[in-house]
Amino acid sequence: MRSVGALDQSPAISFQGGSRVLRALRDVGSALWADPYGRIGACILCLFALAALASPHIAPYDPWANNYRPDGQLARLEGISTRHWFGTTYYGHDVLSQTLLGSRLAFAVGLISALLIGFIGTNVGLISGYFGGRVDDVLMRITDLAYAIPFLPFMIVIVSLFGPRVEVIVGSMSLIFWRTAARVVRSQVLSLRERPYVLAARAAGAGHLRILYVHLLPNVLPLAFLYLVFGVAWAVLTEASLSFVGLGDPNRVSWGLMLFQAFTLGAMRHAWWWVVPPGGALMLFLVGCYFVGRAYEERINPRLRARS
Amino acid sequence: MRRYLLRRCLQSLFILWALVTIMFFLFRLMPGDPVGILVSADLTDDAKQALREAWGLSRPLAEQYLLYIRNLLSGDFGLSFQYRQPVWQALGEKVVNTLVLMVPATTIGILLGVLGGLYFGWQRQSRVDQLGVLLPPIIRAMPVFWLGVLLLMAFSYTFRLFPNGGMRSLGSSPGGWAAAFFSVDFLWHLALPLLCTVITSIPEPMMIMRSSLLETRGEDFLELLEAKGLKESVVLRHAARNSMLPVVTWVFHMFGYAISGTVLVEVVFAWPGLGRELVSAVNAYDYPVCQAAFFLISVIVLGLNFINDLVYGLLDPRVVLE
Repeated sequence: MRSVGALDQSPAISFQGGSRVLRALRDVGSALWADPYGRIGACILCLFALAALASPHIAPYDPWANNYRPDGQLARLEGISTRHWFGTTYYGHDVLSQTLLGSRLAFAVGLISALLIGFIGTNVGLISGYFGGRVDDVLMRITDLAYAIPFLPFMIVIVSLFGPRVEVIVGSMSLIFWRTAARVVRSQVLSLRERPYVLAARAAGAGHLRILYVHLLPNVLPLAFLYLVFGVAWAVLTEASLSFVGLGDPNRVSWGLMLFQAFTLGAMRHAWWWVVPPGGALMLFLVGCYFVGRAYEERINPRLRARS
Repeated sequence: MRRYLLRRCLQSLFILWALVTIMFFLFRLMPGDPVGILVSADLTDDAKQALREAWGLSRPLAEQYLLYIRNLLSGDFGLSFQYRQPVWQALGEKVVNTLVLMVPATTIGILLGVLGGLYFGWQRQSRVDQLGVLLPPIIRAMPVFWLGVLLLMAFSYTFRLFPNGGMRSLGSSPGGWAAAFFSVDFLWHLALPLLCTVITSIPEPMMIMRSSLLETRGEDFLELLEAKGLKESVVLRHAARNSMLPVVTWVFHMFGYAISGTVLVEVVFAWPGLGRELVSAVNAYDYPVCQAAFFLISVIVLGLNFINDLVYGLLDPRVVLE
């Protein structure tokens, strides 16, 4: 998110703007905790955050290490045991370690894409709604285009052209998923800009930038946060989907990559321990995001329907 | 109505043009020399130059662009590198295969979702209603490819009830169109991919329908109907009709998602459709097929959206007048 204070000249008012952002953030927290789903979702996400932070220290094995049995043979497709809690893969990798470390990539991809999505979407919505007229027309046609693109095929093509790297995947996702935030923020701004306080600010000589980022932004931040949460979910799911069809970053442990390997090697015929943990982790992570998003959505706007 | 149709038609064409243009420039932005990537980097400079001339790559960009559009309009997608035949021949039947899977599956999914939303939204027991809140996000959080793999593990490998992929048994050659898509063998192969797609398209319409019905339930006209002593099913029918609109609006955006799900389902179940073709073309560096598959997928999505627009226009006359 753009820092409000940085755009400001007078320190007294920048403090006001800053405190409004803080208040918006505090509202986010209390809205989440008030709802049982929000609490469950927040707990799930906190667990994953802990796993992501601690995984290099608590993972029992190196995720890429080919583990061997005591008799010196590669521990290939070993079932659940005390040495390997979730069993091993065809290459003798430890499934538990890979699953734990997979949460790191999920968080990195989710948070970075969500910030990009929120940044682009909020700004497009603010500018489009505030200026209206031709600016609005052009920006909304571009938004329509972003909606019309079949996003997974599009990303498959992009990744095939520019290489299966995390940066490429995150960048191309952000170029599409800002669309929902942009539309919702725009419609909010359309009503906000007619409020007396905006007119008052304009009468007091405030410029466009100031009205946009000091007066309007704090009021759309709660909405923008909602799309931040959904953005995390979309980004993580899309990254996993790309990895599953073999277009993920081959050098990083991810749940999608694990499933891709289990699938292409035909190991899912019997090695359920290789399939269930990464998929289950992915699903639990998304459940956490959706619960948090849902709880928060009901709180800020019970009539809101833009769920796509 | 005619003006509305025309406007929608122009909009779809504009979007298609924009997509095609984006694709053209993306393929030009691709890092590396196309001759080196597509043929071999070891060619002599003269041979590379000759190939560039033959492929029209030495001409100005604007001219290349016009030529590209003209070829697309005449249905000429070039030659496939892996099949060594015109792309159109390789992809024509794949379009049908994708549609045969995606259209029935999403239709059934939406219907089930709407019915589920009605059921949970009409509930007065808070326990059951809580289920209506809990279920959709959980189903939605299940990645479609993982669900597919689980279905395969259960019904194909463990219980051996369904085939593990493909569209027809080996050696079965369908004679004629009806036999191809209505034979028992085909439906048997269709079952699991269809089930997988249906499950993943249930939660969104269910959530939207439920919350919309909850809102309608508070309105006066329903109280009046109840006071008149009408049966509950009749009251529900009135309530349902008045809370359908958000679902219908939502369908506008859903085809983009549905096709993404279909791509993954096709990969999991080895369904010979456009999505699987796109993925295998990417892995084989078959750029003409890749481009054409993306183009056809876009046409499918835009086409389905357009049909949906028409239905919407017929259902709600206000839209046309806008």
